[in-house]
Amino acid sequence: MSTNGKPKYKVIGTRPIRHDGVDKVTGRAKYGADIRLSGLLHGIVLRSPHAHARIVRIDTSRAEALAGVRAVVTAADIPPQGDRMVELGEGAVNMRHLSANVLAHDKVLYKGHAVAAVAADNVHIAEEACKLIDVEYEVLEPVLDVLKAMLPDAPVLNDDVRTDVMGGSPAASDRPTNVARQIIFTKGDVQAGFAAADVVLEREFRTGTVHQGYIEPHNATAMWNANGKVTVWMSTQGIFTARQQTAELMRIPVADVKVVPMEIGGGFGGKISVYLPPVAAALSKKTGRPVKVIMDRSAVFEATGPTPASYIKIKLGVTRDGMITAGDAYLAYEAGAFPGSPIGPGCMCVFSCYDFPNARVEGYDVCVNKPRSNAYRAPGSTNAAFAIETVVDEVCQQLGIDPADFRLKNGAKEGVRRVDGPVYSRIGMLETVEAIKASEHYQSKLAGPNQGRGIASGYWFNIGLKSAVTATVGYDGSVTLIEGSTDIGGSRTSIAMQLAETLGITAEQVTPSVVDTDSVGYTDVTGGSRVTFATGIAAIEAARDIQRQLVIRAAELWEVDPSTVTYVDGGVSGPDGKRMTFEELAHKLPETGGPVIGNGTSGKATQAGAFGTHCVDVEVDPETGKVQVLRYTVAQDVGTAIHPSYVEGQLQGGAVQGIGWALNEEYWYDDKGSMRNATYLDYRIPTCYDVPMIDTILVEVPDPQHPYGVRGVGEVPICPPPAAIANAIAAAAGVRMKQLPMSPPRIMSAIWERDAAK
Amino acid sequence: MARVFIPAQIRDLTDGQEVVEVNGTTVREVIEGLESIHPGTRERLCRDGQLRPGLMIAVDSSVASSGLRTSINRDSEVHFLPAIGGG
Amino acid sequence: MRDFDYAVPSTLTDALALMAGASVARPLAGGTDLIDHVRTGRLAPDLLVDIKKLPELNRLEASPSGLRLGASVPCWKVIASTEISRDYTALVDSCRIIGGIQIQNRASVGGNLCNSGPAADSIPSLIALGAQCVIASKDGTREVPVEAFCTGPGKNVLQPGELLVELKFPARAVRSGSHYRRFIPRNEMDIAVVGVGASVTLDESGQRITDARIALGAVGPTPLLATDAAQALIGQAFDEVAIAKSVAAAKAIATPISDMRGTAEYRVHLVGVLLARVLKAAVARARGETFTYQPGH
Repeated sequence: MSTNGKPKYKVIGTRPIRHDGVDKVTGRAKYGADIRLSGLLHGIVLRSPHAHARIVRIDTSRAEALAGVRAVVTAADIPPQGDRMVELGEGAVNMRHLSANVLAHDKVLYKGHAVAAVAADNVHIAEEACKLIDVEYEVLEPVLDVLKAMLPDAPVLNDDVRTDVMGGSPAASDRPTNVARQIIFTKGDVQAGFAAADVVLEREFRTGTVHQGYIEPHNATAMWNANGKVTVWMSTQGIFTARQQTAELMRIPVADVKVVPMEIGGGFGGKISVYLPPVAAALSKKTGRPVKVIMDRSAVFEATGPTPASYIKIKLGVTRDGMITAGDAYLAYEAGAFPGSPIGPGCMCVFSCYDFPNARVEGYDVCVNKPRSNAYRAPGSTNAAFAIETVVDEVCQQLGIDPADFRLKNGAKEGVRRVDGPVYSRIGMLETVEAIKASEHYQSKLAGPNQGRGIASGYWFNIGLKSAVTATVGYDGSVTLIEGSTDIGGSRTSIAMQLAETLGITAEQVTPSVVDTDSVGYTDVTGGSRVTFATGIAAIEAARDIQRQLVIRAAELWEVDPSTVTYVDGGVSGPDGKRMTFEELAHKLPETGGPVIGNGTSGKATQAGAFGTHCVDVEVDPETGKVQVLRYTVAQDVGTAIHPSYVEGQLQGGAVQGIGWALNEEYWYDDKGSMRNATYLDYRIPTCYDVPMIDTILVEVPDPQHPYGVRGVGEVPICPPPAAIANAIAAAAGVRMKQLPMSPPRIMSAIWERDAAK
Repeated sequence: MARVFIPAQIRDLTDGQEVVEVNGTTVREVIEGLESIHPGTRERLCRDGQLRPGLMIAVDSSVASSGLRTSINRDSEVHFLPAIGGG
Repeated sequence: MRDFDYAVPSTLTDALALMAGASVARPLAGGTDLIDHVRTGRLAPDLLVDIKKLPELNRLEASPSGLRLGASVPCWKVIASTEISRDYTALVDSCRIIGGIQIQNRASVGGNLCNSGPAADSIPSLIALGAQCVIASKDGTREVPVEAFCTGPGKNVLQPGELLVELKFPARAVRSGSHYRRFIPRNEMDIAVVGVGASVTLDESGQRITDARIALGAVGPTPLLATDAAQALIGQAFDEVAIAKSVAAAKAIATPISDMRGTAEYRVHLVGVLLARVLKAAVARARGETFTYQPGH
């Protein structure tokens, strides 16, 4: 479905074959582990067996003595960072914490925390050498639960953490704490709002620690050259942030580090922070040889950033006729070992789908003995959506109101003031609800017993940040497009299509390349649903730069004043009906001064955010509590779908990840803080047997901040699934699930409780 | 005058006022203006002459990409919000 | 990973000599578990003896006197066998859900048994179908019923130098049927939270049970033969009363642990749910009725 109907574009909205498709389908694409260099050494990281311990002593001498071992490094080989924050594109990072995460300083804060690393002639020698490193630990009590970690007598992870209360600290305490940050938003008069409500519901929720589930493990190969220049080959969501993190951690100039991007086997937010490049660089510096380090799966689970577990309490007030009067939310997110959970976005998203006249939101960022949390698709928003969208559904059930109608009555729209302050510009929340309400799926009848249907909505901001591209016109009418945005979801093609549309040529005439940090202008990470938007704007700017230059070249050929020449419809037009296509003019470039190179950047534009509404049918086995997802439809405001297949792919992928989060995914820790399911066998992401075809409805409400109306699409589709499925389970089995994942044993327990209450 | 939305946690410095009207053509000027009316607010929003780490500025509906230099219209709203990182 | 030696004997005698010679020797058939365990350091053998091509271990012979299944026969050959599919159906149910297709192309039933995991998908079927283990060493051969083979998680009666050569199954009575199913949180590619295998034989009327064997997986340190649960059925008309008695007896011997795959209480509950479903399927098969089963559902 499209709200703007008519085909405005020639290239945008079509589905050309992706430029990197053949290499990926035939296995020729080179990923991080595929790098081969002469003299290559292999690195293995020794990891902490304890969740919380003080490092008393590290003795590497036995490991260094093993034949084939070339170097051993510890935190002593990473320069001290002092107390400094560094802006890394997506936000400022405490360098001491980042450094201590890469190689533990005086304490280990989670099982799997890197303690030392070995470079050897092969991985087997390096593994055996790791066993010869003697580490003496003073084991400390771990704290693994967000609410327990907030208690005054909880074990404290970091000596340098105080609660940040909007730039201040509570006067009461200069003691270290696990509570790293407090956030509060208020709007209107919450007490009066609840007093005006006919129904007030208060519910508590828990969500588990969840992994992004990318297939390719973290990797880095580094060469520290004799001239002090460092090259890193790796898969990353952002070559420039990887470069800056590596340079800052090693305290060398940014210009001395070059990051060469390899193809990336998934990231979803998990491949922004660096883990291995400084370790590989330190090993290479010591050995003078290139060193490759690749994590195994358990290291990926135990030691890289998951999205946080959380505790959320929601209170919602609604009038008898279904109008929201007030909301109150309390959110506590697990930061993991160091501060930095997505509690901010969580607090900003929790009430973002609705017009709340009165509301209060309070949030906490809390350290626990788990790996330092990191971004995962709309970080912070899915946890919040599970809670609020479940309460909304329960209110609708109590009041006998259709949940789609409730959303149409109360949904956010242009002009509504958010609880965190700003007023919405043009957004498409209501359109996604209308699309679901009108869908054949929502209108259809359920097919059998123990089945239920649920809907839920979700929001994500989408970010802008900075991008740069360079485009060179070939004399044959081709264009090479150089960019710095890691291509995770088909963005090479989506960016190339925007360049092609602007120049009036075909997508196939454009050859896009993602290049290293020495070869393109600064570009922020592939994340925040920003690349098709922001790198797209840069490509459009580059195309306009080419247009301007081609006009001058044509004027020279025609011997007319450039002001009489215009670039229109894939070519140049001049006085007296003069006309050359892009390709014809390209052939004549050698006789008018040679190459034409267009540059484009974007850095000012911000996005308006995106909404999605999902509808799901489930069947609950009343004897086992197992849920089968029978049918699933995603409606999302996608702005303008540049390449509809990739937009659909993002919506489907997000929904599938949300289904996994909803039903089975969860880190299982024992009481000592050891993760017991650090493999894909027992960390259960959905397989193709577990999900139906995900149907998509592309609602196009163009974002006026982008020339073609692009909105980021990648993140918001993960937000609604857990709530939509919880609501469907409630309809199917009569149980309200308040903890993620909604695994069969938990649902069975809820069914037993339901029956016992009868 | 620009309307500065005061974050809940520093309203003790603005006598509980949620919105303070301040003159200024940039965010930096607005913060200086706010500081002159309600001393102590600047320190909570800025550090070393920069916006504090972990914060972002929204002017009207948009995230400000030029930080403290972001220009302000006469009737603009200025918000101080937690910074957002994406996945 | 430590270095180790690798040998490919061409005769069973040579294989047994190699197994007896090294301090830590492990036989390699499909290797789908073994290689992973060596790679992760859970096992550190000095010698791997490749047994996947030995003729005695590749036997697949169905005859009126029963079935002989070599220990190295991969799952796909079991699935492809019309005789096993017809008469020893539970074993095919098991082999279809051990790993994915690639795993089934290499993994053997004998290997699944020798790994002796409490949740192994083939073992309840082997027990229900009354299979015997034929174990050889350089000193001779002995036979052990499958229900007595496993002694603990990852542990079994094999002594150093011994090798599982084949599994022998008794001939199937007329009007017999069998089934295995497991409960898993996903629909494929998973480890059993509980697994139940059963074999039943009916009288001429098709209503009364004359013989039964029931086995439970993942509810104790080893797969269990549920003798009382079977006794509760033998001689009884197959109805809800008989099923309930059998279920109660089966639950009584289940001593599962609570772990990430499910709580003990939940697992005991699942024993009942699965046993009732498995018995109905086995009886349907014994009656010659068409029975379709979608794993995971």
